[in-house]
Amino acid sequence: MSSNWEMVIGLEVHAQLKTSSKLFSSSPNQFGSEPNENVNFIDSGMPGMLPVMNFGCIEMAIKTGYALNFKINKHSVFERKNYFYPDLPQGYQISQFEFPILSEGYINIESGDNQKKIRIERAHLEQDAGKSIHDIDPKYSFIDLNRVGTPLLEIVSYPDLSSADEVINYMSSLRQLLMYIDVCDGNMQEGSLRADVNLSVRKKGQELGTRCEIKNLNSFKFIKQAIEYEFQRQINIIDGGGEIEQNTMLFDTSTGETRAMRSKEFSHDYRYFPDPDLLPVNLSQEQIDKIKPLVGELPQDKLNKYLDNYSLDKDIAKIIIAEKQNANLFEKMISESTVKPKFIAAWLVGDIFAFIKENNLEVNSLNDKTKDITDLLRLISDDVISNKAGKEILPKVLNGQGKPSELVKELGLEQVSDSGELEKIIDEALVGEDENILKFQGGSDRVLGYFVGKCLKATKGKGNPKLINKILLERLKK
Amino acid sequence: MSDIDIKRISYLAKLKLPPEKEEFYSNSLKDIIKWVDNLKKVDTSKTEPLHNVTEKTVSIRNDEVSKSNSVDDILRNAPERAQNFFKVPKVVE
Repeated sequence: MSSNWEMVIGLEVHAQLKTSSKLFSSSPNQFGSEPNENVNFIDSGMPGMLPVMNFGCIEMAIKTGYALNFKINKHSVFERKNYFYPDLPQGYQISQFEFPILSEGYINIESGDNQKKIRIERAHLEQDAGKSIHDIDPKYSFIDLNRVGTPLLEIVSYPDLSSADEVINYMSSLRQLLMYIDVCDGNMQEGSLRADVNLSVRKKGQELGTRCEIKNLNSFKFIKQAIEYEFQRQINIIDGGGEIEQNTMLFDTSTGETRAMRSKEFSHDYRYFPDPDLLPVNLSQEQIDKIKPLVGELPQDKLNKYLDNYSLDKDIAKIIIAEKQNANLFEKMISESTVKPKFIAAWLVGDIFAFIKENNLEVNSLNDKTKDITDLLRLISDDVISNKAGKEILPKVLNGQGKPSELVKELGLEQVSDSGELEKIIDEALVGEDENILKFQGGSDRVLGYFVGKCLKATKGKGNPKLINKILLERLKK
Repeated sequence: MSDIDIKRISYLAKLKLPPEKEEFYSNSLKDIIKWVDNLKKVDTSKTEPLHNVTEKTVSIRNDEVSKSNSVDDILRNAPERAQNFFKVPKVVE
């Protein structure tokens, strides 16, 4: 029975930093260019070329340090990690080993109904490698070096995660934070954020088992599948009397299985040593302090603000803070109008997000429509038009087909909120309803709905339902 | 001194070693290490490792893009070229 088993997982997440240029060269750091377009002589490992540190990468690492509660190290050292592969023309990856720029951080994630603190051992700067394409030619590999030298921040957690769901929560919290502080675009499909999963199994309460590392997972779906498969694979081996060999595994996305990747016979020896081309990074406290204000509000700060100052429901607040652009749009609308934040939030996560999804838009694309949106919401909350009319007009406003007040007139959707006029209509509607009036006074609430419906119909749907309700109650109680 | 695993070293160095040469290279490497081991005679227990001879910090540049060459320049050293890719014997890990 697998229920006696538990999994122990640590994650190594590689986040591509969204700088303009590469870590040690001024080539463009850009996805999707023509092959070998963004490569210079440093990237291609030509002899005699010297790497020069991009300070933008240090800034982003420090921002990440603040956001993930790290100790930001004033002293860090770049070392060479030696290995041979065609998409690594230098013959070594420049990385930080003994002295990383960030150490001992943590984030809190959701685990069931509780919060769980996930400790992060370290984060260090390093170069990405190029890309090998193996499936064009049966005998040859095609190499594109555009990605060579792209700055990566590798974020290494402690083995504090104990289920696939926790891993997903950890990974999405990281992604959210990195996107909030604007250091990573979070695009997993393009490889901007990739995870290596270290997984071992043990009977509950026992010592840690031998771990296997599943390399290079670039979607939440694959991470979950790979963890579930690898968990069962290790249990089966142990249950069958075998032992787990420490291995590097690949996840085959077509079969949903993991398999050993590197030859088991010989382990790699990376022969790390400090890169003689690069002096140590020595930062002053002043340099570090300067970057703190650039971190800005983090998701948790926004959540607290939305709950405390705007009294949003937690579920709605969470949807808004999920992505920074949602929160930006929401806060822009609040700053530009006097409509209640709670009212704006309800429309935002309801009809406005539905519109964005239906039309496959970016949330950002509505940033220049916020004034029109809040004008419309004003009309609804002031009862100038009904909720239903608001829903009808909203897509037109979002499509830029007109100003809300003009659209209301054009479509004749203005509500009748003139109590004199409504009283007349109600009095007419109550003629000949003596029997139902008695029923209501006898305690049948259902009759009220019937009357409201009748009155609304008499106004051709334009009567203000709240007002009709109010006047009706006054009349009926007489 | 640890033993020389000549098979592993030749694998890591991607060099094919004929079996009859294994002993010869194994002994040569042993001699080299024995010589380097002279350094162990120095007591370094109270010395911080020196990563660099200057006390300075790494030179930095601002995050700005400049392009200094073309794809053709880069591919000039390619063993073979296919469109704008390097074309190399297949290596799959």
